[in-house]
Formats: sequence, C-alpha cells, structure tokens
Amino acid sequence: MKSKIGIIIGREFNERVRKKSFIITTLLTPFLMLGMMFAPMLITIYSESDLKQIAVVDDSKIIAQALQNNKEVEFIATPLPIEIARTEYSDYFAVLHIGSDIMENHNNVQLYTNGSTSIALEQNITTQIEMVLQNEKLKKHNIENLPQILADIESNVSIQSYKNAPEKSGEEAESSSSVVATVLAYVLSFMLYMFLLIYGVMVMQSVIEEKNNRVLEVMVSSVRPFEMMMGKILGVASVAVLQIAIWIALIGSVAYFVMPMVLPDEIVAALAMMKEGGAAAMQGAGEIGILQAIMMLSNMEYIATILASLLIFMVGGFLLYAAMYAAIGSSVDSPQDAQQLQTPITIPIIVSLFVMISVINDPTSDLAFWFSMIPLTSPIVMMARIPYEIPAWEIAVSAVILYASFLLVVWGAAKIYRVGILMHGKKPNLKELWRWMKY
Amino acid sequence: MDIIRIENVTKSFAKHVALDNVSLSIPEGSIYGLLGPNGAGKTTLLRIINRITAPDNGSVIFEGREITADDVYRIGYMPEERGLYKKMKVGEQAIFFARLKGMSRKEATDKLKGWFEKFGIESWWNRNVSELSKGMAQKVQFIATVLHEPKLLIFDEPFSGFDPINANLLKSEILTLRDKGATIIFSTHNMSSVEEVCDHITLIDKSRNILSGNVEEIRHRHGANIFEIDYRGEEVDLRKAIEGRCEIMDSTPSPVGFNKMKLHIATDSEVRGVIAAANGSVEIRSFREIIPSMNDIFIRAVNGNL
Repeated sequence: MKSKIGIIIGREFNERVRKKSFIITTLLTPFLMLGMMFAPMLITIYSESDLKQIAVVDDSKIIAQALQNNKEVEFIATPLPIEIARTEYSDYFAVLHIGSDIMENHNNVQLYTNGSTSIALEQNITTQIEMVLQNEKLKKHNIENLPQILADIESNVSIQSYKNAPEKSGEEAESSSSVVATVLAYVLSFMLYMFLLIYGVMVMQSVIEEKNNRVLEVMVSSVRPFEMMMGKILGVASVAVLQIAIWIALIGSVAYFVMPMVLPDEIVAALAMMKEGGAAAMQGAGEIGILQAIMMLSNMEYIATILASLLIFMVGGFLLYAAMYAAIGSSVDSPQDAQQLQTPITIPIIVSLFVMISVINDPTSDLAFWFSMIPLTSPIVMMARIPYEIPAWEIAVSAVILYASFLLVVWGAAKIYRVGILMHGKKPNLKELWRWMKY
Repeated sequence: MDIIRIENVTKSFAKHVALDNVSLSIPEGSIYGLLGPNGAGKTTLLRIINRITAPDNGSVIFEGREITADDVYRIGYMPEERGLYKKMKVGEQAIFFARLKGMSRKEATDKLKGWFEKFGIESWWNRNVSELSKGMAQKVQFIATVLHEPKLLIFDEPFSGFDPINANLLKSEILTLRDKGATIIFSTHNMSSVEEVCDHITLIDKSRNILSGNVEEIRHRHGANIFEIDYRGEEVDLRKAIEGRCEIMDSTPSPVGFNKMKLHIATDSEVRGVIAAANGSVEIRSFREIIPSMNDIFIRAVNGNL
C-alpha cells in the first residue's frame, strides 16, 4: 500500500494555513514581540520622567548644599523649620528632614512624601547622604590635598568580554555579551515552551474533533492509523515551521531596516565606528553594553547556530510531545476528559521552565547538563543553554537522544492511537492506555 | 463465486466477546444483509472486513485469497456515523477521500463532477460541510464512498436518518451499483429494507451467526405451515368440517366481504384434506400459505424459537 502520509500532511497544512486566524497571528505576533522587547528600552531612552522636587530641611547644615540633582530629582533647600515646611511644600513630591545630629546619629533622616516613594529614590538619597558623611569624616582626619586624593581614587569600571579563541588576536576576537545571551536564553526557551504547549494541544484537539465527527472511521478504512497520526503531526509541524520562518524573516528585516532609524544617533555613530575599527574602537565609546549586544547579534555565525538549533529542538520537541498529545486525543471523547491524562505530559514542560531559570544563572552546571539531555526537558533547557555557546558535542548528543526517544514514543503512541480512535463513550485511565499499548 | 469468505472469525475486547467463531460467505454480485439487534457484533464484523480491526482468530478471504492491505482500494465503506470534516469544502473533501483510496486528483475531480450532476448538487462544491443538512451530508458521504468504483461496498446502517425520498434514491443507487457488478454488504435492523433489496442475509445475535442464506429460501424454509382461507358461508359449518384436521388460530368474520380464518396445519399431507373438507362446507374464495416476513423470522430467531 502506497504511503498516504503526503496526502494527509497536505490536507492538514492547507486547512490550517488558509485560516484567517493563522494569517493574522502570523503577521501580528512579531510586532507584538518586538514591541514587548524594545518598548522598555525605547521608553528609557526617550522618556523624560517627571522631575520630582524635594524640599530639604537641613538642621545639620552640612548635607543640603552637597545633594546633587539629576534628571529625576531636584533638591531645594529651605530655611523653614520642618513643621512649617511640611505644610508649606505639600505640593512638592516630598519633604526631606535631616536631623542636626546626623554626624553622630546616622538614622536621623526622615522623608515625608506626598505621594508614593520608590526604592530607587530612597537609595539615591541615602547614597548621597552617606557620601557626604564619609567626606565630612575624612576631613576630620586633616589629610593634606584631600580633594585631589579623592578625585584620584575615584574609578569607574566596565568590562568587555570576549569569547576565548586563542588563535584569533585581540582585535578580531568576537565580543560576547552575557546580557544578550541571557535575553536570548529567556526568549528562546520561552518560545519553545509556548510552542510545545500550543501546538501540542492543537494536535490533541484536532484528533478529538476528528474522532468525534467520525472522520477517523472513514479514513481508517483506507489509511493505516500510524500514517494518519504521523500525517497529522507532520502537517501541524510544517505549519509551525512556516510560521516561525515568517517570524524570523519579519523580525530580521525589521531589525535590519527599522532599528537604525529608531536608535539614537550617537549609538548608530559609535556602531559604525566599531565596525570599522574593530573591538579597539569600543574603548572610547560610552554605552559599551548596548554596542556589544548589537555586535553580538550581528555575528552571523552565532545567529546561524542559534537558528539551526532552534529548528532542531523545536521540531524534535514538537514531534515528541505531539505524539503523546495525539495518543491522548485519540483515547478521549472531549477535551474535558483529556485534562487528567494530560498532566503527565504537562509536568515535564513546566519542570523545564523552572530548570531554565536556574540554567540561565549557571549554564554549565550539572543540573543544566542533565536536564538538557533528558528528552522530555531537553528542548526547552537546551535552548536556554545554547546562547551561552556550549560545546557542540553536547548539542549533538542531546539532539540524538531527543530524536531516538521520539521514535520510541511514536511507536507506543501509534498503538494507543490505533485502539483509541475506535473507542467511544468510555474515559480510559493511564493504566488502560498502557494495556492498549500491548494489544 | 464468493467475493468474501469469513472463516471462523473470533474477536474479543477486554471483557466482552464481540464475534464468536463466525463464518459466512458473500456471493459476488449479491446484496447481502447483515442483520441483528444492536450490539450483536455487526459493526465489528464490518470493521474486520475493512481491515480496520484485526480478528483474534480466523481469516477473511477476499476473492479466494487472504485479504491484503491493497484490497482496501477495492472496498468502499460508509460507517454508521457519518464522518466528514465540518470546516472543509465539499468538493475538496471528496477529492481528499478519493485520493486516500488511490485515485489521482484529476480522475477524482472528473468523476465527482459526474456524481454531483447526477444528484443535482453541483452548487455544493464550494460550500462548507457545516452548512449542509444531515441528509445533504449523507449524500456527499455516499458519493465519497462509491467514487472509486469499488468491487465491494460496505454500508453500516445506510438508511438510518434518511427521509423516505432520499432512502429510495439510495436504494435505487445501490441496486444500480449491483447491476454494474459491485457486491454490496449492509448492516441494518430495518427489516423492510432487507425484503426489498437483499438477496442474501446473515442474522447475527449475541456474537454468533444464527442464520444465513438466500432470503426467499429462508422465508420458505421457516414458513410455519400457517394458511389463510377467505370464504363465504357460516363459520360454524367450516369449523365443524375441518375440526380435528388442523388447529384454528384465528377467525375474523366480515359483515360485507369474505370471512377469514387462519389455520395451522401440522403436516403437508393434511393440506389437501383440509381443503377438501372446507370446500364441502363453505364457498372458498382463496386458500394460501402465509410466508413469514423477515421481521417475524428475525424476532423468532432472536428469541430462540426457530
């Protein structure tokens, strides 16, 4: 009997891709994703947050003149006593009161706010007061040339990290940004998580639907159940791959053509400089973090590795989970009945998400290694590790294990499927599914 | 020649025997009825012929050899519960099923156009199945079943849910298909349809084949020696004349036409005697054997009174 998988894949693909909902979600999701990723960045770059005015009642007379204003806060010293100042400046953001014995009693500082305060603001104030107090105390030691010494010892540090490839000289070394890796790890593994759940459940629901309207019984007289199941899984997989490919293309072109227009001029200029002068040019530039991130993202080899792995683990993970979802769908009559049977499948997905969070802190830990090898958790956990540029053999071994276990699972799932699609009216439990596998 | 022979087929599910050592042969070119109460095992047997389910024991012989996977191309199956994709266009869906049965897209499209014209449903081609009524969907399902011109057609309860007009259309289509050389098996518990179209039947009850054969032959074989006389004259005279020769089951006098009397005559040799006696006492208009309907046979067989 000639294989019918092709005909079934074709139907699944066409039916889904032609739906309006597919076209809409495919086109809109990347813009939502980009919006969510870049909105905070753009907001911080462009937004001027409201200037907060704080009246300062300084009974010690040493703090007020030293407080520095910034974009967010303006300190205004007032000679009024605190009780009067509190009523007088009720239209200010807050009134800060510094006790006269602040040198001895460091806790004698009160902030009366007329709205809500924030940790960042309080930290700004305490840090500034601490600096003033430290300086005042240093002065008491009568050190000569104190201001010069202080200016001399002040130092700011920023790290440029490179991937250690000794064969390349310092100039050519690829810069790597742990911020980018972390963001990618989050985005990729979360994407995989959503993908496995959404598309897995989609397979399950469509099997339940076909079972309910008895299409399966018509089909099963001309197609082997295994072919029906694989056709559906591969059909949905091809829809998913198409969708992801469109997303990558859209995001890529937006990043390439639109971002340069949106980014502030000084960053674009520094970037151009960096591209010409290599890593050395970075030294002078101000926002090293952002520059490094953009450099890393324009490293084609790195991006290609990530996209290839994404494809391998997304497809492998989907096949594995979809086979199990299909088996469950075939054995029940309604999505409600499927709830209980789904639990054993949902647990590994959720576990992977928890492990992913710890993996991002330490991508080379034993935990990270083993969970990226166990087939049920490996797709999500592996995608969280790959942005950190782990050894290629680990990726290969994990992929082989994943695809091997897919073959094993699909074999068992097909047996359940074969029995399940003709069973109506009874809700089986896990024990019965196990028995069907041995029919 | 038999197109299908079922030999000692047994199938059981977890705690329940669906078919218990069932054997039967289906002659080529016949319309074969598979009868039995609900839950007797008809659908399981049809699924085994279709290779949807495998028997635990026994074999299915298709045209003289063990049935193979490729034989499903020459079988058309319409299950009891109609199954169509609700959100798919009618034409496309029929092509999909035809391709699964091994037809090319072009061949399927050409043949489908012909069937759609025949049923006068060309305008449905681009409609979604969900827009069709149940009867309309059944027509589409019927076309999808017969499109690849299978040698063997299997219908599970084909008439359930059809209105009388469409049921007749379906009946005449089934007869046409038979005349073109197809063999048709259908399961039913609607006995009148059996008498009208079937030439062979098997009666399945409690997982067993309890009665098989040609419909006319079965009816005569199970004729229960019941006769009916239409006559003019006094009932009392007739009773007196035939007393002792037979058992009077029923008597219905009629004020205007002929009186009727139902008799049970135990042996064939007594029949002439009864007629002679009756003839001497009243004016006989007719005397005939009552052949039981399949319905009577069905009920008596299921109750174990055959």
